[in-house]
Amino acid sequence: MSITIDWLAFVQVFVAAMISSVLVVAFYSIGLRLLVRAGRAPVVAPADFTDAIAVISDKERARAAKAAAKAAKKSPLTDGQKRFALIGAYASFAVCALAVLGGLLLIIFNH
Amino acid sequence: METAALLVVLVIALALFFDFTNGFHDTANAMATPIATGALKPKVAVLLAAVLNLAGAFLSTEVAQTISGGIIHESQINDEVFPAVIFAGLIGAITWNMLTWLLGLPSSSSHALFGGLIGATLVGVGAAAIDFSVVVSKVILPAIIAPLTAGLIAFTATKLAYVLTRRYDSKPDGRDGFRWGQIFTSSLVALAHGTNDAQKTMGIITLLLITVGYQTSPEPELWVVFACAITIALGTYMGGWRIIRTLGKGLTEVKPAQGFSAEASTASTILASSALGFALSTTQVASGSVIGSGLGRRGSKVRWRTVGRIGVGWLLTLPAAGAVGALAAGVVVVMDNIGLAWLGILIDAIIAVIIIVILFMRSRRDEVTAANAMSEVADSGMAVKVKKNPGPTRRQRALQREQARRDKEAMK
Repeated sequence: MSITIDWLAFVQVFVAAMISSVLVVAFYSIGLRLLVRAGRAPVVAPADFTDAIAVISDKERARAAKAAAKAAKKSPLTDGQKRFALIGAYASFAVCALAVLGGLLLIIFNH
Repeated sequence: METAALLVVLVIALALFFDFTNGFHDTANAMATPIATGALKPKVAVLLAAVLNLAGAFLSTEVAQTISGGIIHESQINDEVFPAVIFAGLIGAITWNMLTWLLGLPSSSSHALFGGLIGATLVGVGAAAIDFSVVVSKVILPAIIAPLTAGLIAFTATKLAYVLTRRYDSKPDGRDGFRWGQIFTSSLVALAHGTNDAQKTMGIITLLLITVGYQTSPEPELWVVFACAITIALGTYMGGWRIIRTLGKGLTEVKPAQGFSAEASTASTILASSALGFALSTTQVASGSVIGSGLGRRGSKVRWRTVGRIGVGWLLTLPAAGAVGALAAGVVVVMDNIGLAWLGILIDAIIAVIIIVILFMRSRRDEVTAANAMSEVADSGMAVKVKKNPGPTRRQRALQREQARRDKEAMK
């Protein structure tokens, strides 16, 4: 009895998973970065359930919002640059969403 | 004939019960983080996980076909013995699952299922009935490789997420936004869970239906897909309430950027594997991702002892569930030899009922703590130690040197 193993399939899974997660994470990160550049730093409210993740308090949130406002004031970017960054941010999030959607469609129609 | 039909119904019921416990057990894997961050309200998160598990079960049936059309040589089995063997295998899987759950050992319900089925087939039919090349290439090797690759991918993704959002001018870095992102990545993990775990039960039921001559192709029937999808979704929904009650207790600290990367890696690894029909353990992949992403943060160190404990639990699952499955099949075979096949099945059935009752009583007892209800994935976060204040990056060091030089010049 011989055991045949399709090693190529493992490589395929690894490459596909690597490419898709790197795409999603990279574009989401770039999106966030551009969002900050556009002066809209995301601040997420604290949670009722404090677990697994360091959840920020109301005080910390206020401090972060203040720091963001101050940084935005100091930012030498023109309105045009900011708008450009914002468009870039949304474009990055869109790429992210498309990558996920594309991956799912590939699975649905490829078997 | 009636007893045969009864046995088929019994096996399907037991398989669906297994499916339910699988969903029940694994909700935490996907939805613990977005609930914890407050990105999603608990009710919404659990409902979302259930719906996405349902959807995932319909996405691809490759994994189901690996089980129904690959692992067992159909020419070697017949409809007289094999339903009882599948029954014995399921009992092996459920027993092992319950044991590990009660003892708090890390385990994988998927591997318990494969172990039980293989063990029972070995005893009930013989080694010739098992296609070892499929077992090795689609079950054992993925079990070893997938957590490692998921870890590697999560490591890369985490590094990337931190590097891309790192600021050197102490302005806000926007990493808080990864909490929103986690809504989507957790949803993808729930979807991926449906594409892999719901399939396993479908595969078992389809294998049974092929054996008794109800169908010939390894493609699962539509009603089987529906039954399994709905059962796992129901299990997910019910399991969620346990988790919600336990949240609020301290656990490992996973930063949003890290959690986002880990979940993206888990989802993509499972989805890619499902598409190629690899049956893997979603819990193990998610654990690999959490460890990998922990290592992707600066100043992190592996706690090898914890990693070892998790690894031993994983390695033990397949043979241990196999042994229990083999034992259950042995009862059937021995009783069959003395002409009392139904008694063997009855004994197994009684054992199954006892186990299920114990399981139920145990879950009703009100002692849900972070230790017994939180996911193993969260536990595996303990395997990585991350410094609270990691040292400066190379560029930060350069900036500091530059600042020091300027300060010196200003002094002169």
